[in-house]
Amino acid sequence: MSQRDAVEERRVSWEQQLVQFEEEQHVPPLRRMLQRMRHNKLLLFGSATGILMLFAGVFGPIISGADYAAQSFQDIHLPPMSDGYLLGSDGLGRDLAIRTFVGIRVSLIVAAGVTSLALVAGVVLGMLAGYYHGWSDRLIGGVVDFVWGFPLILVAVLFAGGLGEGLFPVILAVGLVNTAAIARVVRGEVYTLSEREFIEAAHAGGYSHFRIMWRHILPNILAPAFVLASYYVAVAIIAEAALSFIGLGAQPPLPSLGQMVADGRNFLRQNHWESTIPGIAIVMLVLSVSLIGDGLRDVFDPRLRHEAKGVDEE
Amino acid sequence: MRRIAGRTIYTLIVLFVSSIAVFYAIRLSGGDAIAARLPASATVEQREAFRELIGLNDPIHEQYLNYIGGVLSGDLGKSLTNNADIFDMLLEHGLNSFILGATAFGLVFIIGVPLGMLAAVRRNSWVDSSVMTFAVGGMAIPNFWLALLAVWLFASTLGWLPSAGCCSPNQLILPAIVLAMEGIALTVRMTRSAMLENIEQDFVRTLRAGGLSEKRIVGKHVFRNALVPIISLAGLRIGQIIGYALVVEVIFGWPGLGQVLVNAVLRRDYPVAQFFSLVLITIVVLSNWLADVGYTVANPRLRKA
Repeated sequence: MSQRDAVEERRVSWEQQLVQFEEEQHVPPLRRMLQRMRHNKLLLFGSATGILMLFAGVFGPIISGADYAAQSFQDIHLPPMSDGYLLGSDGLGRDLAIRTFVGIRVSLIVAAGVTSLALVAGVVLGMLAGYYHGWSDRLIGGVVDFVWGFPLILVAVLFAGGLGEGLFPVILAVGLVNTAAIARVVRGEVYTLSEREFIEAAHAGGYSHFRIMWRHILPNILAPAFVLASYYVAVAIIAEAALSFIGLGAQPPLPSLGQMVADGRNFLRQNHWESTIPGIAIVMLVLSVSLIGDGLRDVFDPRLRHEAKGVDEE
Repeated sequence: MRRIAGRTIYTLIVLFVSSIAVFYAIRLSGGDAIAARLPASATVEQREAFRELIGLNDPIHEQYLNYIGGVLSGDLGKSLTNNADIFDMLLEHGLNSFILGATAFGLVFIIGVPLGMLAAVRRNSWVDSSVMTFAVGGMAIPNFWLALLAVWLFASTLGWLPSAGCCSPNQLILPAIVLAMEGIALTVRMTRSAMLENIEQDFVRTLRAGGLSEKRIVGKHVFRNALVPIISLAGLRIGQIIGYALVVEVIFGWPGLGQVLVNAVLRRDYPVAQFFSLVLITIVVLSNWLADVGYTVANPRLRKA
């Protein structure tokens, strides 16, 4: 494609966007949001997969009613679709279907725990640092930079070293690192917001700092914070799976997807499904969450395109 | 210069604080370490005597000072599980980790930069979109899952490469590629966007007007400029590789620092866990510092600030 073609193509797509934008202006905001969501095929696909996984995690164990820890030594290494074992069984004769469902549930619980922790703490810290500037900014900024610079897995291994293995240290460690990541972005947003005229006006009106933060700044940073948080849901799921894989996360008999992948890897040659089924579940979870995150970003806040990827170039 | 000095002081503070944090966290949980060392038949008095012997009963700040003194004078103590000298472990496993990490680090740039250039030069073509699909995939797939797929395909099914072990070149290939994958994906994206950004600059137009061939413009002038952020932020890749090495070394049975640390945590071998945490943290903090300095040197605008 020649240089000129490229320029022309860019101009045309720009004009299309402009027309679409102007058309959208005549539609009420909520409807516009829904419309944009509907046009976003990846978001739809991601949400459908996500709802499926949510359903599997919440209702799967209830419907199948079996015990995830029950062992049966006649029924070891059964392939999927065997009699009584929809997804087969593992080396101890445990039902892989129910274990996968419970594993999905564990992933979802960890992701929810981590993300709510990180969202609340990250928004509060980021807002304090960005609003007050000065020493609180330097203190919070220093700690946040410090934590953010560490590899997630290393932090989690250290926490496991201090607190013992299990899901709790995993949630704390991943929550801490994600808090720092969210606080960094929120701080930047608040920093620019706090120099805008409407905040100045609020100061002039004599409102307290708390009220300005709560009523004027918070509503403006919620959308980007939520979008960002949806990325860190994927990070949390991957981290939990990786840590359970190396034995530091969920402890037996409680199943976790990463731990199931690890259990099955000695049988890869003959019975690959013991690893591949939980592995596919992890990939589907991560994929759906990432697509939802991408889609939400496009709908709510196109500006975040670079920051949210965790791409650490300036 | 002031910025670099500031970052250096900050880095030293960070190192100090994290050494305290690691020491306290792991030492406080060290009670179980006794059980790891003594036979189950040991009496209460014997356990107590052992605590006294290894200094667990001293005030904790004295323990810290003794420990740091020991580390600085090269006396690192012994492993609680197999009585191996920790300094010997560091040499042996450190070398293994260095081989794996350095290979992965090299792959990040040897594969990532040319692919990113290719995508930028052939932008909006099928080459570009397949390279970018690869890059997005590389960032989305958890690396332990990638490792397993690679073992399944290349070791179990095709039988081309060994699935685990150390340290022949054959055994190095799979773990190094898995370890490098996310860095490769990031580097591809960074290279592509940096190249595209530079292609639109005024100096490129001037060069074109001067009659330089497109090949020379892109291959020399644009490429050089695009390389600046990638090289200067290379330090960040080191930290990333260290984090993933913890998982990848365990999967491939590669006896490096990461595997030692994970095993020490699992077996409550706290002198080993403590020291190797400190080693890894130091490397991460220093490589972040390196990235900071590199970025400052490459960006004249930041030098004064």
